[in-house]
Amino acid sequence: MRNFRLSRRTLLRGAGVGLGLPWLEAMAPLKAAAPVKAPVRMAMLYMANGINTSMWTPEGKGRDFVLSPTLAPLQDLKNEIQVVSNLWNAGADTGDGHYVKESSILTCTTISKTLGVDINMHGISMDQLAAQRTGDRTPLPSLELGIEPESTGVDGNVGYTRVYGCHIAWSSPTTPLAREINPRSVYDRLFRAASPQGNSLKEDTVLLDRVLGQSKKLRSQVGAGDRARIDEYLEIVRSLEGRLERASDGTKSSWKARASIDSVAKPTEAPRDHAEHVRLMLDMIALAFQTDTTRISTFMFGNAVSGQNFRFLEGVTDTHHEVSHHTKDPEKLKQYHLINRWHIEQYAYLLRKLQSMKEGEGTVLDNSMILFGSALSDGNSHNPHKLPLVLAGRGGGRIAAGQHLVYQEDTAVANLYVSMLDAFGTPVERFADSTGPLPGVLA
Amino acid sequence: MPFFLLLLLLLTGAWQCFAQPAFSFDDAQIFLKTYCAACHQGKGAIAGFNLAQFSTPESFHERGPKWNSILNRVRNNEMPPRGKPAPPMAQREAFTVWALASLKTEACAGGIVPGPAPVRRLNRTEYSSTIRDLLNLHVDVGAGLPADGAGGEGFDNAAETLFLSPIHAEKYLDAAKQALDFAAKDPRSRAKFLTAKPGNGVTPPQAARKILEEFVPRAFRRPVDESDLLVYLGLFQSAQKSGKSFDDSILFAIRGVLVSPQFLFRVEAVNPGSEPRLLDDYALATRLSYFLWGSTPDSLLLALAEAGKLHEPEILNGQVARMLRNTKSFDFVQSFVEQWLGTRALGQTIRPDAKLFPEYSGDEELQGDIRYQPVLFFREILSNDLSLLNLLDSKFTITTKKLQKLYGLNVKPSSGDNTSAPQRIELPEDSHRGGLLGMSAVLAVSSHPQRTSPVLRGKWMLDAILGTPPPPPPPNVPPLEEPKGDAPKTVRELLDRHRADPVCASCHSRIDPMGFALENFDALGRWRTADNGKPVDAKGELTDGTTFDGPDQLKAVLLQKKGLFVRNLTNKMLGYALGRGLTLKDSCVVDSILAEVERNNYSAHSLINSVVMSMPFRYQTGAVPVAPWTRTKADRKL
Repeated sequence: MRNFRLSRRTLLRGAGVGLGLPWLEAMAPLKAAAPVKAPVRMAMLYMANGINTSMWTPEGKGRDFVLSPTLAPLQDLKNEIQVVSNLWNAGADTGDGHYVKESSILTCTTISKTLGVDINMHGISMDQLAAQRTGDRTPLPSLELGIEPESTGVDGNVGYTRVYGCHIAWSSPTTPLAREINPRSVYDRLFRAASPQGNSLKEDTVLLDRVLGQSKKLRSQVGAGDRARIDEYLEIVRSLEGRLERASDGTKSSWKARASIDSVAKPTEAPRDHAEHVRLMLDMIALAFQTDTTRISTFMFGNAVSGQNFRFLEGVTDTHHEVSHHTKDPEKLKQYHLINRWHIEQYAYLLRKLQSMKEGEGTVLDNSMILFGSALSDGNSHNPHKLPLVLAGRGGGRIAAGQHLVYQEDTAVANLYVSMLDAFGTPVERFADSTGPLPGVLA
Repeated sequence: MPFFLLLLLLLTGAWQCFAQPAFSFDDAQIFLKTYCAACHQGKGAIAGFNLAQFSTPESFHERGPKWNSILNRVRNNEMPPRGKPAPPMAQREAFTVWALASLKTEACAGGIVPGPAPVRRLNRTEYSSTIRDLLNLHVDVGAGLPADGAGGEGFDNAAETLFLSPIHAEKYLDAAKQALDFAAKDPRSRAKFLTAKPGNGVTPPQAARKILEEFVPRAFRRPVDESDLLVYLGLFQSAQKSGKSFDDSILFAIRGVLVSPQFLFRVEAVNPGSEPRLLDDYALATRLSYFLWGSTPDSLLLALAEAGKLHEPEILNGQVARMLRNTKSFDFVQSFVEQWLGTRALGQTIRPDAKLFPEYSGDEELQGDIRYQPVLFFREILSNDLSLLNLLDSKFTITTKKLQKLYGLNVKPSSGDNTSAPQRIELPEDSHRGGLLGMSAVLAVSSHPQRTSPVLRGKWMLDAILGTPPPPPPPNVPPLEEPKGDAPKTVRELLDRHRADPVCASCHSRIDPMGFALENFDALGRWRTADNGKPVDAKGELTDGTTFDGPDQLKAVLLQKKGLFVRNLTNKMLGYALGRGLTLKDSCVVDSILAEVERNNYSAHSLINSVVMSMPFRYQTGAVPVAPWTRTKADRKL
């Protein structure tokens, strides 16, 4: 509510006052042919600020390994995970502490240093590569989620726009995908995407059609450089139009999800705290995967350089970024570990949730690849070597879970993505600086 | 190669506050020979960078971008590479300052130019305000849109970072529907945009045409032709054909208007000539209203545009004054101030710890009072055309009773009651609350949630106030060696050790001192004389030898450096007004705005007026701008 009497109470209402919620109708049954095989899903859960390296790496390798203190919360899921050691992103090995490394974790490129005007990843992220090939099979091509709002301003200190630090999913080298951070609006979006209403669907299609016409007209009126922006609009309108058309034609979907979205309660709009917020967002990923509303998701626990306050954890007195610069102080290292382990606990929560969702003979987790990782190892020195990475789920039987895979130091993380893209059903010869698939990942 | 470093340094006059040996062209040649020649000379010069090509003053004209990249590599400690003989920090800086000045001279040789003005969509707040004004609907319908990141001078209205994701298409459809669902039920709103109805001899298509003839130009911020109207009339008719009521049909057509690119994007007619030209009055009305209101032009601005009068200087100045008086200017002030100072993050990503500061976390009113103080303070300065130097130190502030209690201020507002609404109060001597630096919002946003940090506050000061952000730390900084003997106990002892290490000291000797001067304020901005049982030590010394003790003396030092501060504020204001990052060329216009502001004793209106009257704001660039290397990527596209 915007109100111009500047009393404190009116100001406080600020943005985000609830609007009327879209009316919800019962889910229409999907008219789909019997499924042959459940689809594979893929997600990346991204943690900012690196790890306490002394507490991360499991002992032993192959199938015979002992989880480290940080990974201990995964004990009951040990047979469902691969801990992947010694990979790195060579493209991120440049001067800057965070943005270069964190934004490119899924693109494996070297980003352009800029406050905005020259923004360029020089590649697209692996999730979007997959989404661009398979996005037409689900109501949403992919789902980008986060917790912290878009960071304010530019970082004049290191000379990067903070846009870089807020996005790991890039649909083009110059297009970061906007994230949703409000669980309620994610729910609403999933719901509407999965159950379009006949009449409004038709209306929307008519409108989009006219918009396309107007965009083409406008395109012819602007200078050459500005056409790119109008083209972006044309592109997103076209893609929405395509999705709506597919939605009105249920026969195109070959997979019939077991669950519908209205079987789950709407989440709150205002989570009480960080922990609840994270859980609610992870619930949304699980819901989207279970209902096959999308098969691809990226989630950021925090933005690059996140200063999230973790004092809610017993034994932690500092913020995330502050603790990551531990300067070898044993107390800070302990806190760093506790924060890392908390993230792993949330990861385990999602994995268990997916495991509890039955699908055919197995579970949704069996049909998923859920990657957890950070773009730094030791945060204190912004070290991009030996990235902390865990891959969970069996990718529909393609992933050889239950291993600690140790590679030669500085093996390209892009190789892992090549293997994952293969298991996902979107194989590539190469991705960024990959040299081939990562041996041992696939079953 | 981006120009941001040039700009950071040049537009801001960076490092002028620190003692510099002056550099000449010959000094620079010696510098390059000493530190670069080993690898960058002769036939085998690495990376094709051969010193011989940079040995004349003309090379600035011929190889501007290359000079720029030399400058950046040296400035960022990237060159010479690790392990090779490196210049001392003072030499690096002297070289950098000299090279910047040379590049600027070259860039300004052709005079002031308008610079790029790329097409951009409305950002989230502009979208909400625009819908509000078009439909007279006081509901924030843009709240569901994704938040926008920031680019350029640090604002979320920068054309370069207003990206589009597939989610935008969905959200625009939804938001338009929601807005019209609300508007259709609100009589005030209906009166604003449903300006005709069928009956009394008026047919439904006639009524629809009348409504659209009035609404579409307002939504598109310019006159429209018949073919545009027909698109939306067509939507009306198709709804009618499918049996919808008049109301539903016209709302459907208007929904079409609200998802059209002509509404969602700010587009200016292309200048076909090669010379810069005055913007047309509709484009000027749009620039002006998104600058000072963050919203669409009102009927008076559009009428002045239609009459072809808006660009006339006295009319334009009159409109600026009117717009600043209008309550809608609050949106501009809030958006500008909160992004400039970073206080937008307060209560979101930066939040004083709930357990340690229950007085903050448990009191939503106080949270609002804190967050809005700098906004209302800036607005007070702007509304009354006061000196911008009040931002550094002032004899008044804007508070509520609650905030005064936090500040320990027992004063009554000069007029009115500030129990619920903030009011201006005159500050007693030694209140320490004058200017931005006495405000909780600023002091909290530059602290950790649980404690203060002289480093964070010092960095904030260098960046937000002086516009001279420190360079990034060198890559892979090794952790400090463990000290022999007693471990440091206080933050100051720890940081003293930090600054004893030459690698760290080169920057931290600049960052930390100003932060120390603010140690009298806790992480919530409350005054304190002791921290953890030890007396607060708020002494600091700048690298040029200037010393101070506590915030009051710091403010006095800042007032001596007011040139840096006002230049920084001017950069920010121009960047915000233009909605783009500034280029090297813009440093020339910043100089002229700055001169005007100084001539007018730093009056707030003179800053706004000079920005509006500046060439980049009122003109659009020709098809072929001058020196190619001084242009940004966006320029090159034009």
